[in-house]
Amino acid sequence: MASSKASRLGEEYVWRTRMDKVNAELVVLTYGAMVAQLCKDFDSDYVKVNQQLDKMGYNIGLRLIEDYLAKSNTFKRCSNFRETAEMIAKVGFKIFLNITPTITNWTSDGKQFSLVFDENPFADFVELPDDGRAQDELWYSNILCGVLRGALEMVQMQVEAKFVSDVLRGNDTTEMRISLIRYIDDELPPEDD
Amino acid sequence: MAHLGPGKTASSKEQTGLRYPSNGKTIYHRPLNRTKTAELSQSSFAYLFSEMVTYAQRRVTGIQELEKRLNVQGHPIGLKLLDLLLMREPPRTQTRPLTIIALLHFIKINLWTHLFGRQADRLEKSSNPDTPDEYMIVDNEPVVNAYISVPREMSQLNCAAFVAGIIEGVCDGAMFPARVTAHSVGGKEEGEMWPGKTVFLVKFQPEILEREALLGKS
Amino acid sequence: MSYYFAVIGTQDNPLFEYEFGTSKQGGDGQSRFTEQAHHLNQFVLHSSLDIVEEVQWMNGQLYMKVIDKFFTNYISCFMTGGSVKFLLLHQPSATASGTASATRNSTSVGANPTSPQTEEAIKNFFSEVYENYVKAIMSPFYKVNMEIRSPVFRQRVAAAGRKYL
Repeated sequence: MASSKASRLGEEYVWRTRMDKVNAELVVLTYGAMVAQLCKDFDSDYVKVNQQLDKMGYNIGLRLIEDYLAKSNTFKRCSNFRETAEMIAKVGFKIFLNITPTITNWTSDGKQFSLVFDENPFADFVELPDDGRAQDELWYSNILCGVLRGALEMVQMQVEAKFVSDVLRGNDTTEMRISLIRYIDDELPPEDD
Repeated sequence: MAHLGPGKTASSKEQTGLRYPSNGKTIYHRPLNRTKTAELSQSSFAYLFSEMVTYAQRRVTGIQELEKRLNVQGHPIGLKLLDLLLMREPPRTQTRPLTIIALLHFIKINLWTHLFGRQADRLEKSSNPDTPDEYMIVDNEPVVNAYISVPREMSQLNCAAFVAGIIEGVCDGAMFPARVTAHSVGGKEEGEMWPGKTVFLVKFQPEILEREALLGKS
Repeated sequence: MSYYFAVIGTQDNPLFEYEFGTSKQGGDGQSRFTEQAHHLNQFVLHSSLDIVEEVQWMNGQLYMKVIDKFFTNYISCFMTGGSVKFLLLHQPSATASGTASATRNSTSVGANPTSPQTEEAIKNFFSEVYENYVKAIMSPFYKVNMEIRSPVFRQRVAAAGRKYL
């Protein structure tokens, strides 16, 4: 897989040279403060917190895709969903969060896969509230689902993204499940240039 | 302190219901220094931060209230960083700040360098004899302003209110209760060289100055 | 040698408590406080908070060594950046009690509560607890002055006690 190796080096290069960086703990603590605030605002209604995080992520995704396309030098559209998965895991997550989740658990129709996070910077330092509910209801990093949903919608893919396990809940892995609902092939958005 | 009696002990509720992964990994197993120098992309921060502002904006009625809310969200971060940064200091310099100056230096140097990769640009004491309790930390180009686009109707908003909250958290935690506010001064003083230039006004509570006088350290 | 350790919040509220005995010199790690002492310990510890308040502005060292003494109880203090106090009450065993006292000598940790060896041992204990304390408070859901209820934190404190005291 010579080409894939070359491509991985490319992402490392993009991460090192093209991305302005900030201290990771600033981001992590800011996210933590935000989630804690949401829990307070929604009176620990974690289902609502999850929804709000997803919504915020979606808004981010809509805007982030342009940045992604510019930084990653991606000129061509992904030819299939498998390629999309590769780009998300190895390019998207790498250049924004400096992690590379593992792609796994494809369904045979190639429309569903999982991202398994060995590392999740957002979850550094985090212990969920010990209230007997948070570990069953809160998806702490749910913003990431929204980001994927929003970003992919901008490139004509309607997906569903949701966490199915999280080490913060006491699971052994942190896994996000992504399902392709459909390609949005009508009315392409106008090109910028 | 009389309110602790036998029976009302912290250990009486030691059982917790939290589940942990089968490898037993918890926050206590993670070395605290692992992310000391780790980096994430600035755009991740910018996206996150502006989403946080947009969300907060919907729950308030004006700029002042919004800034207050950002301040409140920064506050616990300051409390946490105070101890995280102290813990990481080598034994020789691992000391609690005992004076206003020592505290402000900790903020200008340690806190700023950790969060923003450089010291704050300047530290000033109010020259107004009526406000000896006021100090200013100057940042020519706060990250939170440089990369975050604020909605047009919010153009007066200074997102550095969030950083002001972090500073306030450090001050309060160290027993120097203060009110910290962020003020844009870019364009007023030095032309347009630093359009985002921000002054963090730190106003200590009166008893802090009294304490300093008492300890003979001011 | 018996120990009573407490983390005290900024409102003088207890956040964590743990009682243990020495593991050095063949000690079994069990405390040998009398029934009466159990109750007294909290009050002794809390009455030393006034002294902490004075001492804390004299010196910025987190570790303040022995700050107070009440009969045979010695109280060592460590103050975090956020002004939370770690207090350790240490009580050298009375002559008759326990297996630890039989084998102790003058340089053993704890036998002499103000010896440099004891000071150093307690310092190491506090430092290790501090690291775990910081991990606890870093969680975005931890609010100032919240009790620390994690059993893992308790295990970590116990381990630090076994290791150094």
